[in-house]
Amino acid sequence: MATEKPLPQVNPDTQPFWDGCKEHELRFQKCLDCGHVRWPPSMICPECHASQTEWITARGKGAVYTYAVYHRAFHPAFKDDLPYVTAVVELEEGLHLLTNIIGCNPDSVRCDMPVEVAWEDVTDAFSLPKFRPSS
Amino acid sequence: MGVLDAGLCNYVLVSYGENSVSSRRPDKYNGHLLDDNAPVFGQFGAVSRYAMAARRAMHEFHTGPDTWKDIAIDQRKWANLNPEAQMYDRSLTEDDYYVGNWVVEPFRLYDCCLLSDGGRAYIVTSVERARDLKHPPAVIMGLGQHYPACDINQSTYMAGPTGAKIAGEIAFEMAGIAVDDVDACQIYDCFTYAVEITMQDYGFFGPGEGKDWFSGGTIGPGGRQPVNTSGGQLSEAYFMGMTPLTEGVMQLMGRCGDRQLGPKTQTKEPEIILCSDNGGALQSHMATILRRL
Repeated sequence: MATEKPLPQVNPDTQPFWDGCKEHELRFQKCLDCGHVRWPPSMICPECHASQTEWITARGKGAVYTYAVYHRAFHPAFKDDLPYVTAVVELEEGLHLLTNIIGCNPDSVRCDMPVEVAWEDVTDAFSLPKFRPSS
Repeated sequence: MGVLDAGLCNYVLVSYGENSVSSRRPDKYNGHLLDDNAPVFGQFGAVSRYAMAARRAMHEFHTGPDTWKDIAIDQRKWANLNPEAQMYDRSLTEDDYYVGNWVVEPFRLYDCCLLSDGGRAYIVTSVERARDLKHPPAVIMGLGQHYPACDINQSTYMAGPTGAKIAGEIAFEMAGIAVDDVDACQIYDCFTYAVEITMQDYGFFGPGEGKDWFSGGTIGPGGRQPVNTSGGQLSEAYFMGMTPLTEGVMQLMGRCGDRQLGPKTQTKEPEIILCSDNGGALQSHMATILRRL
Protein backbone atom coordinates (compact mmCIF):
# COMPACT_ATOMS: atom_id res chain seq x y z
CA MET A 1 0.00 0.00 0.00
CA ALA A 2 2.81 2.40 -0.81
CA THR A 3 1.75 5.93 -1.69
CA GLU A 4 3.58 8.93 -3.05
CA LYS A 5 0.96 11.28 -1.75
CA PRO A 6 1.70 13.42 1.29
CA LEU A 7 0.93 11.68 4.56
CA PRO A 8 -0.46 13.35 7.67
CA GLN A 9 2.03 15.27 9.82
CA VAL A 10 1.14 14.00 13.26
CA ASN A 11 1.84 16.06 16.37
CA PRO A 12 0.94 15.40 20.02
CA ASP A 13 -2.35 17.32 19.58
CA THR A 14 -3.48 15.32 16.56
CA GLN A 15 -2.10 11.90 17.59
CA PRO A 16 -5.42 10.72 19.13
CA PHE A 17 -7.28 11.69 15.94
CA TRP A 18 -4.93 9.73 13.66
CA ASP A 19 -4.84 6.80 16.10
CA GLY A 20 -8.63 6.75 15.85
CA CYS A 21 -8.52 6.83 12.06
CA LYS A 22 -6.38 3.72 12.11
CA GLU A 23 -9.26 2.04 13.98
CA HIS A 24 -11.72 3.59 11.50
CA GLU A 25 -13.06 5.90 14.17
CA LEU A 26 -13.43 9.69 13.96
CA ARG A 27 -12.29 11.00 17.34
CA PHE A 28 -12.66 14.64 18.33
CA GLN A 29 -12.29 16.72 21.45
CA LYS A 30 -15.47 17.74 23.25
CA CYS A 31 -15.45 20.54 25.81
CA LEU A 32 -16.65 19.26 29.19
CA ASP A 33 -17.83 22.76 30.09
CA CYS A 34 -19.90 23.89 27.10
CA GLY A 35 -20.12 20.70 25.03
CA HIS A 36 -18.57 22.23 21.90
CA VAL A 37 -16.96 19.58 19.67
CA ARG A 38 -13.85 21.01 18.04
CA TRP A 39 -11.38 20.51 15.22
CA PRO A 40 -8.45 20.96 14.96
CA PRO A 41 -7.42 19.82 18.44
CA SER A 42 -6.44 22.50 20.93
CA MET A 43 -5.60 22.85 24.61
CA ILE A 44 -8.59 25.04 25.37
CA CYS A 45 -12.06 25.33 23.93
CA PRO A 46 -12.25 28.07 21.25
CA GLU A 47 -15.86 28.79 22.32
CA CYS A 48 -15.57 29.10 26.11
CA HIS A 49 -11.82 28.78 26.86
CA ALA A 50 -12.31 25.89 29.28
CA SER A 51 -9.55 23.30 29.31
CA GLN A 52 -11.41 20.18 30.52
CA THR A 53 -11.86 17.95 27.51
CA GLU A 54 -12.96 14.45 26.58
CA TRP A 55 -12.44 12.61 23.30
CA ILE A 56 -15.63 11.42 21.62
CA THR A 57 -16.20 9.27 18.56
CA ALA A 58 -18.26 10.96 15.87
CA ARG A 59 -20.93 9.04 13.98
CA GLY A 60 -19.28 9.72 10.64
CA LYS A 61 -22.33 11.34 9.09
CA GLY A 62 -22.77 14.86 7.86
CA ALA A 63 -23.31 17.08 4.84
CA VAL A 64 -21.08 18.78 2.30
CA TYR A 65 -20.59 22.37 3.52
CA THR A 66 -18.62 23.33 0.45
CA TYR A 67 -16.33 21.78 -2.14
CA ALA A 68 -13.96 22.43 -5.03
CA VAL A 69 -13.06 20.29 -8.00
CA TYR A 70 -9.39 19.99 -8.97
CA HIS A 71 -8.87 19.82 -12.73
CA ARG A 72 -5.09 20.24 -12.53
CA ALA A 73 -2.63 18.29 -10.44
CA PHE A 74 -0.73 20.63 -8.13
CA HIS A 75 1.22 17.53 -7.00
CA PRO A 76 2.19 14.72 -9.41
CA ALA A 77 0.77 11.98 -7.17
CA PHE A 78 -2.73 13.38 -7.67
CA LYS A 79 -2.61 13.35 -11.48
CA ASP A 80 -4.37 10.02 -11.87
CA ASP A 81 -7.19 11.19 -9.58
CA LEU A 82 -8.24 14.14 -11.76
CA PRO A 83 -10.85 15.45 -11.56
CA TYR A 84 -11.10 15.05 -7.80
CA VAL A 85 -13.14 16.78 -5.13
CA THR A 86 -11.81 18.49 -2.01
CA ALA A 87 -14.56 19.35 0.42
CA VAL A 88 -15.40 20.64 3.85
CA VAL A 89 -17.90 18.31 5.48
CA GLU A 90 -20.03 19.52 8.38
CA LEU A 91 -20.42 16.56 10.67
CA GLU A 92 -23.58 16.01 12.71
CA GLU A 93 -21.50 16.86 15.78
CA GLY A 94 -21.09 20.38 14.32
CA LEU A 95 -17.45 20.55 13.32
CA HIS A 96 -16.03 21.15 9.84
CA LEU A 97 -13.55 18.64 8.44
CA LEU A 98 -11.43 18.97 5.30
CA THR A 99 -11.71 15.79 3.22
CA ASN A 100 -12.43 14.34 -0.24
CA ILE A 101 -15.78 13.30 -1.66
CA ILE A 102 -15.39 9.93 -3.38
CA GLY A 103 -17.66 7.28 -4.84
CA CYS A 104 -19.57 9.63 -7.14
CA ASN A 105 -19.13 11.78 -10.21
CA PRO A 106 -17.63 15.17 -9.21
CA ASP A 107 -20.44 16.84 -11.19
CA SER A 108 -23.02 15.33 -8.85
CA VAL A 109 -21.57 16.84 -5.65
CA ARG A 110 -23.70 19.60 -4.12
CA CYS A 111 -23.54 21.74 -1.01
CA ASP A 112 -25.67 20.29 1.80
CA MET A 113 -25.56 16.82 0.17
CA PRO A 114 -25.71 14.10 2.89
CA VAL A 115 -22.47 12.12 3.13
CA GLU A 116 -20.95 9.40 5.31
CA VAL A 117 -17.38 8.48 6.10
CA ALA A 118 -15.57 6.06 3.75
CA TRP A 119 -12.21 4.93 5.08
CA GLU A 120 -9.21 4.78 2.81
CA ASP A 121 -6.30 2.74 4.17
CA VAL A 122 -3.36 4.45 2.49
CA THR A 123 -0.49 2.84 4.42
CA ASP A 124 -0.16 0.40 7.31
CA ALA A 125 0.06 3.41 9.60
CA PHE A 126 -2.57 5.72 8.15
CA SER A 127 -6.23 5.57 7.20
CA LEU A 128 -7.85 8.69 5.79
CA PRO A 129 -11.43 9.71 6.51
CA LYS A 130 -12.99 10.40 3.13
CA PHE A 131 -16.71 10.81 2.48
CA ARG A 132 -19.21 9.40 -0.03
CA PRO A 133 -22.88 10.11 -0.67
CA SER A 134 -25.02 8.60 2.10
CA SER A 135 -26.47 5.22 1.27
CA MET B 1 1.65 56.35 11.82
CA GLY B 2 2.40 55.85 15.51
CA VAL B 3 6.12 56.43 15.07
CA LEU B 4 5.40 59.57 13.06
CA ASP B 5 3.03 60.89 15.73
CA ALA B 6 5.57 60.12 18.44
CA GLY B 7 8.21 62.10 16.59
CA LEU B 8 10.52 59.11 16.29
CA CYS B 9 10.92 59.64 12.56
CA ASN B 10 9.73 61.89 9.77
CA TYR B 11 9.20 59.53 6.88
CA VAL B 12 8.36 55.82 6.83
CA LEU B 13 9.16 53.80 3.73
CA VAL B 14 6.95 50.74 3.28
CA SER B 15 8.26 48.42 0.59
CA TYR B 16 7.47 45.00 -0.77
CA GLY B 17 9.15 42.83 -3.36
CA GLU B 18 8.83 39.31 -4.61
CA ASN B 19 10.09 37.00 -7.36
CA SER B 20 7.35 34.43 -7.53
CA VAL B 21 7.72 33.95 -11.31
CA SER B 22 11.45 33.38 -11.42
CA SER B 23 11.48 31.35 -8.20
CA ARG B 24 8.40 29.33 -9.24
CA ARG B 25 7.02 29.85 -5.76
CA PRO B 26 3.82 27.83 -6.11
CA ASP B 27 5.80 24.64 -6.72
CA LYS B 28 7.32 24.97 -3.28
CA TYR B 29 3.95 24.40 -1.68
CA ASN B 30 4.21 20.81 -2.83
CA GLY B 31 7.04 20.08 -0.46
CA HIS B 32 6.34 22.63 2.22
CA LEU B 33 3.12 21.74 3.94
CA LEU B 34 1.16 24.78 5.05
CA ASP B 35 -1.28 22.66 6.99
CA ASP B 36 -1.03 19.21 8.55
CA ASN B 37 -3.92 17.80 6.59
CA ALA B 38 -4.61 19.88 3.50
CA PRO B 39 -2.06 18.25 1.12
CA VAL B 40 -3.11 14.81 2.36
CA PHE B 41 -6.47 15.45 0.71
CA GLY B 42 -4.93 17.11 -2.34
CA GLN B 43 -5.64 20.67 -1.24
CA PHE B 44 -2.80 22.96 -2.30
CA GLY B 45 -2.37 26.71 -2.32
CA ALA B 46 -4.80 29.55 -1.88
CA VAL B 47 -6.88 28.77 -4.96
CA SER B 48 -8.72 25.81 -3.46
CA ARG B 49 -9.52 27.68 -0.27
CA TYR B 50 -10.99 30.64 -2.13
CA ALA B 51 -12.69 28.28 -4.60
CA MET B 52 -14.43 26.54 -1.72
CA ALA B 53 -15.51 29.91 -0.30
CA ALA B 54 -16.83 30.90 -3.73
CA ARG B 55 -18.71 27.61 -4.05
CA ARG B 56 -20.41 28.17 -0.70
CA ALA B 57 -21.39 31.66 -1.89
CA MET B 58 -22.89 30.14 -5.06
CA HIS B 59 -24.98 27.98 -2.76
CA GLU B 60 -26.04 30.74 -0.35
CA PHE B 61 -26.78 33.52 -2.84
CA HIS B 62 -26.94 34.06 -6.55
CA THR B 63 -23.38 34.27 -7.80
CA GLY B 64 -20.93 32.39 -9.98
CA PRO B 65 -18.95 32.71 -13.20
CA ASP B 66 -21.64 34.95 -14.77
CA THR B 67 -20.83 37.52 -12.08
CA TRP B 68 -17.08 36.97 -11.96
CA LYS B 69 -16.55 37.25 -15.71
CA ASP B 70 -17.45 40.95 -15.61
CA ILE B 71 -14.84 41.54 -12.90
CA ALA B 72 -12.12 39.76 -14.90
CA ILE B 73 -13.02 41.47 -18.19
CA ASP B 74 -13.38 45.02 -16.83
CA GLN B 75 -10.13 44.81 -14.89
CA ARG B 76 -8.41 43.63 -18.07
CA LYS B 77 -9.70 46.77 -19.81
CA TRP B 78 -7.94 48.85 -17.19
CA ALA B 79 -4.75 46.81 -17.67
CA ASN B 80 -4.94 47.51 -21.40
CA LEU B 81 -4.48 51.20 -20.50
CA ASN B 82 -1.50 50.50 -18.22
CA PRO B 83 1.87 49.85 -19.93
CA GLU B 84 3.24 48.51 -16.62
CA ALA B 85 0.61 45.77 -16.48
CA GLN B 86 1.61 42.21 -17.31
CA MET B 87 -1.56 41.88 -19.42
CA TYR B 88 -1.24 45.33 -21.07
CA ASP B 89 -1.29 44.00 -24.64
CA ARG B 90 -3.71 41.10 -24.13
CA SER B 91 -7.44 41.62 -24.43
CA LEU B 92 -9.96 39.43 -22.64
CA THR B 93 -13.42 38.71 -24.06
CA GLU B 94 -16.36 36.88 -22.58
CA ASP B 95 -15.58 33.94 -24.86
CA ASP B 96 -11.96 33.91 -23.69
CA TYR B 97 -13.19 33.83 -20.08
CA TYR B 98 -15.47 30.85 -20.58
CA VAL B 99 -13.00 28.80 -22.65
CA GLY B 100 -10.36 29.36 -19.98
CA ASN B 101 -9.52 26.04 -18.37
CA TRP B 102 -10.78 25.16 -14.94
CA VAL B 103 -8.00 25.59 -12.40
CA VAL B 104 -9.92 24.59 -9.32
CA GLU B 105 -13.63 24.62 -10.14
CA PRO B 106 -15.56 26.95 -9.81
CA PHE B 107 -12.52 29.08 -10.77
CA ARG B 108 -11.32 29.23 -14.34
CA LEU B 109 -7.94 30.56 -15.41
CA TYR B 110 -9.08 34.20 -15.56
CA ASP B 111 -10.56 34.11 -12.08
CA CYS B 112 -7.03 33.73 -10.73
CA CYS B 113 -4.46 36.45 -10.10
CA LEU B 114 -1.05 36.66 -11.69
CA LEU B 115 2.35 35.77 -10.34
CA SER B 116 4.84 38.58 -10.59
CA ASP B 117 8.47 39.55 -10.23
CA GLY B 118 8.74 43.08 -8.91
CA GLY B 119 7.67 45.28 -6.06
CA ARG B 120 5.90 48.34 -4.76
CA ALA B 121 6.71 51.01 -2.22
CA TYR B 122 5.12 54.02 -0.62
CA ILE B 123 6.14 56.64 1.90
CA VAL B 124 4.06 57.72 4.88
CA THR B 125 4.62 61.12 6.46
CA SER B 126 2.63 63.87 8.14
CA VAL B 127 0.20 65.93 6.08
CA GLU B 128 2.21 68.99 7.09
CA ARG B 129 5.41 67.60 5.55
CA ALA B 130 3.57 66.15 2.58
CA ARG B 131 2.31 69.59 1.57
CA ASP B 132 5.86 70.62 0.73
CA LEU B 133 6.71 67.57 -1.37
CA LYS B 134 7.07 67.49 -5.13
CA HIS B 135 3.83 65.61 -5.80
CA PRO B 136 0.41 66.21 -4.25
CA PRO B 137 -0.10 63.49 -1.62
CA ALA B 138 -2.97 61.16 -0.79
CA VAL B 139 -4.30 61.53 2.75
CA ILE B 140 -5.39 58.64 4.95
CA MET B 141 -8.99 59.36 5.94
CA GLY B 142 -9.91 56.11 7.59
CA LEU B 143 -8.49 52.73 8.52
CA GLY B 144 -10.25 49.59 9.68
CA GLN B 145 -9.08 46.10 10.46
CA HIS B 146 -10.91 42.94 11.38
CA TYR B 147 -9.74 39.40 11.97
CA PRO B 148 -12.29 36.59 11.82
CA ALA B 149 -9.10 34.53 12.32
CA CYS B 150 -10.68 31.09 12.00
CA ASP B 151 -9.09 28.91 9.32
CA ILE B 152 -11.18 29.06 6.18
CA ASN B 153 -11.76 25.31 6.25
CA GLN B 154 -13.44 25.66 9.65
CA SER B 155 -15.19 28.94 8.93
CA THR B 156 -18.85 29.71 8.46
CA TYR B 157 -18.25 33.14 6.89
CA MET B 158 -17.06 31.98 3.46
CA ALA B 159 -20.06 33.62 1.84
CA GLY B 160 -19.84 36.66 4.13
CA PRO B 161 -19.87 38.61 6.20
CA THR B 162 -16.09 38.37 5.99
CA GLY B 163 -13.71 40.66 7.86
CA ALA B 164 -14.49 43.31 5.24
CA LYS B 165 -17.81 44.12 6.89
CA ILE B 166 -16.51 45.27 10.27
CA ALA B 167 -13.21 46.60 8.87
CA GLY B 168 -15.21 48.66 6.39
CA GLU B 169 -17.56 50.00 9.07
CA ILE B 170 -14.60 51.08 11.21
CA ALA B 171 -12.89 52.80 8.27
CA PHE B 172 -16.07 54.57 7.12
CA GLU B 173 -16.77 55.78 10.64
CA MET B 174 -13.24 57.11 11.04
CA ALA B 175 -13.47 58.86 7.67
CA GLY B 176 -16.94 60.22 8.41
CA ILE B 177 -18.24 59.17 5.01
CA ALA B 178 -20.64 56.62 3.55
CA VAL B 179 -20.20 54.09 0.79
CA ASP B 180 -21.90 56.44 -1.70
CA ASP B 181 -19.10 58.98 -1.21
CA VAL B 182 -16.48 56.60 -2.65
CA ASP B 183 -15.34 57.56 -6.16
CA ALA B 184 -13.30 54.44 -6.93
CA CYS B 185 -12.09 51.27 -5.24
CA GLN B 186 -8.86 49.30 -5.29
CA ILE B 187 -9.85 45.88 -3.97
CA TYR B 188 -7.58 42.97 -3.07
CA ASP B 189 -8.35 40.61 -5.95
CA CYS B 190 -6.40 37.39 -5.57
CA PHE B 191 -9.47 35.79 -7.19
CA THR B 192 -12.51 37.40 -8.82
CA TYR B 193 -14.78 36.26 -5.99
CA ALA B 194 -12.67 38.25 -3.51
CA VAL B 195 -13.73 41.45 -5.29
CA GLU B 196 -17.40 40.49 -5.15
CA ILE B 197 -17.53 39.43 -1.51
CA THR B 198 -15.42 42.40 -0.35
CA MET B 199 -17.61 44.98 -2.10
CA GLN B 200 -20.75 43.16 -0.96
CA ASP B 201 -19.54 43.25 2.65
CA TYR B 202 -18.61 46.95 2.33
CA GLY B 203 -22.24 47.56 1.36
CA PHE B 204 -22.02 48.51 -2.33
CA PHE B 205 -24.78 45.94 -3.00
CA GLY B 206 -26.73 43.26 -1.18
CA PRO B 207 -25.98 39.53 -1.15
CA GLY B 208 -26.49 38.15 -4.63
CA GLU B 209 -27.00 41.57 -6.25
CA GLY B 210 -23.45 41.53 -7.58
CA LYS B 211 -24.42 39.97 -10.90
CA ASP B 212 -26.56 42.97 -11.84
CA TRP B 213 -24.26 45.46 -10.15
CA PHE B 214 -21.12 44.40 -12.03
CA SER B 215 -22.86 43.95 -15.40
CA GLY B 216 -22.65 46.59 -18.09
CA GLY B 217 -19.14 47.81 -17.34
CA THR B 218 -19.78 49.28 -13.87
CA ILE B 219 -16.17 48.90 -12.72
CA GLY B 220 -14.32 49.34 -16.03
CA PRO B 221 -13.11 52.45 -17.88
CA GLY B 222 -16.10 54.75 -18.28
CA GLY B 223 -17.94 52.95 -15.49
CA ARG B 224 -19.77 54.60 -12.60
CA GLN B 225 -17.71 52.85 -9.86
CA PRO B 226 -14.20 52.13 -11.18
CA VAL B 227 -12.43 49.21 -9.49
CA ASN B 228 -8.81 48.07 -9.73
CA THR B 229 -7.80 50.71 -12.21
CA SER B 230 -4.29 49.36 -12.78
CA GLY B 231 -5.71 46.00 -13.85
CA GLY B 232 -5.32 44.79 -10.28
CA GLN B 233 -3.77 41.53 -9.23
CA LEU B 234 -5.80 39.76 -11.91
CA SER B 235 -4.31 41.73 -14.81
CA GLU B 236 -1.54 44.09 -13.65
CA ALA B 237 0.68 42.36 -11.08
CA TYR B 238 0.41 40.62 -7.72
CA PHE B 239 2.20 42.40 -4.90
CA MET B 240 -0.05 41.52 -1.98
CA GLY B 241 -2.05 44.46 -0.63
CA MET B 242 0.46 46.85 -2.17
CA THR B 243 -1.10 46.43 -5.63
CA PRO B 244 -4.41 48.02 -4.61
CA LEU B 245 -3.02 50.51 -2.10
CA THR B 246 -0.34 52.02 -4.34
CA GLU B 247 -2.82 52.34 -7.21
CA GLY B 248 -5.21 54.23 -4.95
CA VAL B 249 -2.43 56.62 -3.99
CA MET B 250 -1.21 57.06 -7.57
CA GLN B 251 -4.72 57.82 -8.83
CA LEU B 252 -5.23 60.53 -6.19
CA MET B 253 -1.81 61.96 -7.05
CA GLY B 254 -2.87 62.10 -10.69
CA ARG B 255 0.07 60.01 -11.89
CA CYS B 256 -1.73 57.25 -13.80
CA GLY B 257 -1.28 58.26 -17.45
CA ASP B 258 -3.82 56.79 -19.86
CA ARG B 259 -5.73 55.05 -17.06
CA GLN B 260 -6.07 58.21 -14.99
CA LEU B 261 -9.52 58.56 -13.45
CA GLY B 262 -11.33 61.66 -14.64
CA PRO B 263 -12.07 63.00 -18.13
CA LYS B 264 -9.37 60.83 -19.73
CA THR B 265 -11.28 57.63 -18.87
CA GLN B 266 -14.79 59.11 -18.78
CA THR B 267 -14.99 58.59 -15.05
CA LYS B 268 -15.51 60.84 -12.05
CA GLU B 269 -12.52 62.88 -10.94
CA PRO B 270 -11.49 60.98 -7.79
CA GLU B 271 -11.64 62.67 -4.40
CA ILE B 272 -12.02 59.54 -2.27
CA ILE B 273 -10.68 56.03 -2.99
CA LEU B 274 -11.31 52.92 -0.90
CA CYS B 275 -8.56 50.26 -0.82
CA SER B 276 -8.69 46.78 0.67
CA ASP B 277 -6.30 44.03 1.68
CA ASN B 278 -6.90 40.42 2.72
CA GLY B 279 -4.71 38.05 4.69
CA GLY B 280 -4.85 34.28 4.57
CA ALA B 281 -7.98 33.10 2.82
CA LEU B 282 -10.45 35.74 4.08
CA GLN B 283 -8.96 35.42 7.58
CA SER B 284 -7.99 39.04 8.04
CA HIS B 285 -9.04 42.26 6.40
CA MET B 286 -7.77 45.82 6.13
CA ALA B 287 -9.76 48.73 4.71
CA THR B 288 -8.04 52.01 3.91
CA ILE B 289 -9.88 55.12 2.76
CA LEU B 290 -7.74 57.74 1.00
CA ARG B 291 -8.62 61.24 -0.17
CA ARG B 292 -7.02 63.88 -2.27
CA LEU B 293 -5.44 66.69 -0.24
